[in-house]
Amino acid sequence: MTVQASTSFSFGISSFVIPPARSRHRSVIRAQVEPSEKSVEIMRKFSEQYARRSGTYFCVDKGVTSVVIKGLADHKDQLGAPLCPCRHYDDKAAEAGQGFWNCPCVPMRERKECHCMLFLTPDNDFAGQEQTVTLEEIKESTANM
Amino acid sequence: MAVSVSTSSIPSLNSDRSNRFATSAISSSSPGLRLSSYSSSLLFPLRIGTGGLSSSSRRKRILPVKAKKQTFSSFDDLLAKSDKPVLVDFYATWCGPCQFMVPILNEVSASLNDKIQVVKIDTEKYPSIANKYNIEALPTFIIFKDAKPFDRFEGAMTAAQLIQRIEDALKIKQ
Repeated sequence: MTVQASTSFSFGISSFVIPPARSRHRSVIRAQVEPSEKSVEIMRKFSEQYARRSGTYFCVDKGVTSVVIKGLADHKDQLGAPLCPCRHYDDKAAEAGQGFWNCPCVPMRERKECHCMLFLTPDNDFAGQEQTVTLEEIKESTANM
Repeated sequence: MAVSVSTSSIPSLNSDRSNRFATSAISSSSPGLRLSSYSSSLLFPLRIGTGGLSSSSRRKRILPVKAKKQTFSSFDDLLAKSDKPVLVDFYATWCGPCQFMVPILNEVSASLNDKIQVVKIDTEKYPSIANKYNIEALPTFIIFKDAKPFDRFEGAMTAAQLIQRIEDALKIKQ
């Protein structure tokens, strides 16, 4: 995977920069390969349904929710399964095949533990009141990434 | 693979565009450094983003980023050269809590500026460093003192909680 620029911070574009081969624009450097819209929509719907089903709520900061949904979509695109984006793995493909960390992961299913802060039990400090998140919300809060 | 780091006040390790310039600069001047993905000398040079045009920069390209510019040859080098304890944030791009911590780390770094240096490592770009420290959940924070892990904790928290945790760890040192 080739990543050409930081995703967390914005850079000025220098005239000395050679755009990466994959770039479709001469003067724009893509910060990160984005997950496909289709996968984002699938994971968005899944997240809403699962929050309802499990009686959990999204974070007060929907940015967190959005980033995780995109992370799930990204793994779904790359690995075929929505591997938890808030973990480091030795071998992502193996983990996706094994399934423990595929969303909804075993800790979530068994104990409603979601360290991604995607599904929060009502007693959690960061839990909001909503079990919905729109595609617009996702796009807006991840626009700078 | 060169590492360039730029943030407002926090250096982070990720492979951005400037890596290639750094790589070409390095390969001509430091033939001993090899592109290895599993060694302590894998990073070159690790540059912490600059406050603009740095007169000491020997590189031609200019990235208008803010923060102090430093060059390291590896993560171990960064730890060794630091005169302060180092808080390392192991993160990933699409990890929600990690992104949640970005402004909090900025705030903490500013208020504890003299006491600790904050560094961020993208575990997807530097899996070997993440493996070395057995990182699993993200974000994981490790406070390094004298280049060795001293305290370690996971998950997002408020700025107050993070400052408290850091100060508790630093207190013991003194």
